Amino acid sequence: MTEDKGPRGYHDVGGDTAGEIPKVELPWLHWEKKVEAIRGLLGDGTRRIVSLDEVRRGFESFGIEKYNALSFYRRRLEAMTDILVEKGVLSRQELDAAVASGRARWRETSGSE
Amino acid sequence: MTRFCEGDLVRVLALGKAGHVRIPHYVRQRTGEVVGYCGTYLNPEDLAVGITGGKAVDLYRVAFAQPTLWPDEVHAAHDRLIIEIYDPWLAPLSETSNAP
Amino acid sequence: MPHDHHHEEHEALIIEDEAGNIEAQIIVDALQEVLISKGLLTAHEVTAAIAKLESPGIHLGAKVVAKAWTDPAYKQRLLQDGRAAVQELDIPVTEARIIVVENTPVRHNLITCTLCSCYPRSILGQPPSWYISKAYRARSVREPRRVLAEFGLDLPMEVQLDVHDSNADMRYLVLPEPPTDLASYGSAGLEAMISRDHLIGVARRVG
Repeated sequence: MTEDKGPRGYHDVGGDTAGEIPKVELPWLHWEKKVEAIRGLLGDGTRRIVSLDEVRRGFESFGIEKYNALSFYRRRLEAMTDILVEKGVLSRQELDAAVASGRARWRETSGSE
Repeated sequence: MTRFCEGDLVRVLALGKAGHVRIPHYVRQRTGEVVGYCGTYLNPEDLAVGITGGKAVDLYRVAFAQPTLWPDEVHAAHDRLIIEIYDPWLAPLSETSNAP
Repeated sequence: MPHDHHHEEHEALIIEDEAGNIEAQIIVDALQEVLISKGLLTAHEVTAAIAKLESPGIHLGAKVVAKAWTDPAYKQRLLQDGRAAVQELDIPVTEARIIVVENTPVRHNLITCTLCSCYPRSILGQPPSWYISKAYRARSVREPRRVLAEFGLDLPMEVQLDVHDSNADMRYLVLPEPPTDLASYGSAGLEAMISRDHLIGVARRVG
């Protein structure tokens, strides 16, 4: 029996077939904690700049390829920056400029391994 | 006075909405039983687009019989799937056509 | 009209490599810098928020369970209003509501979030990577008994399996059954036996 259930997001995977569940234990890295910390602060009672549902809308809208290619916390980071740019809280240029200086500092300070 | 009480049979509607919704595809158009009332909450569909002043909606816990949801899989007859459904996505069974 | 969607039989968990992690660190630090320059947050707040995120963990869930096993009145309060009962133990809870689902000799509970990764983070900390995997999210609702078997738990058909999909505002904790020799342990001993797998529902027997 087929019935129209409406649009289905690529994140809406309940009931799909899938293989074995990967049991690897991953550490929670500092940058990942920082993503969550910033999201929580921006969504708190004093700010209400970006909510968890807006972040979810962010990763539900970036397209299935990007969604499937990014790790969980990287999705959250990308979704949060997309929503902040969308809402005019910051511009893509400002962020790119800060990332470029960050990369340059990293190159300067990282010695050979 | 909430629209539904524990024990009511309800059908999950397929509202045809695009964008951020929290009702997974696998329960849409399915019939379940209300097993709990969670209170009122802001609608995530509003929050996702920055509307924080919208009307709060009733949230219910609805149980579905697993053998009916997934007839091709192995489930015990009494196994259940319980999920939270916001009021606008529910209709009383009596108002809808018969469906599993 | 049937909806055609993408099936992946063996979907690997996406893990950043070293370059990916460095890149992500640079991006989040840059984001923080821009937000600070706009007066939207301070570095101190971020540091304090990270410390708060790091403090919850399985030990807090174990504390709640051990208390429920040894204090029947507490257990009733926990089943009635999980958030309030957890907070009684000086565990701060940020989720709107916590629902504690009790395992019995004839019922077993399993928690999942098919849409993303909802989990009682302010109590238990971050969920394990497998909980966030597509394979767990897809299969935990459709074939939970097979999923449990993959975790080494063969649940008899006489035991009812309730799967809870945390798709909205509630967050869930499983209250496992106590060990048969409950009285022989003090709280520290009991707490040490309770694992994250018990609290999510992929393990059943404690002790």
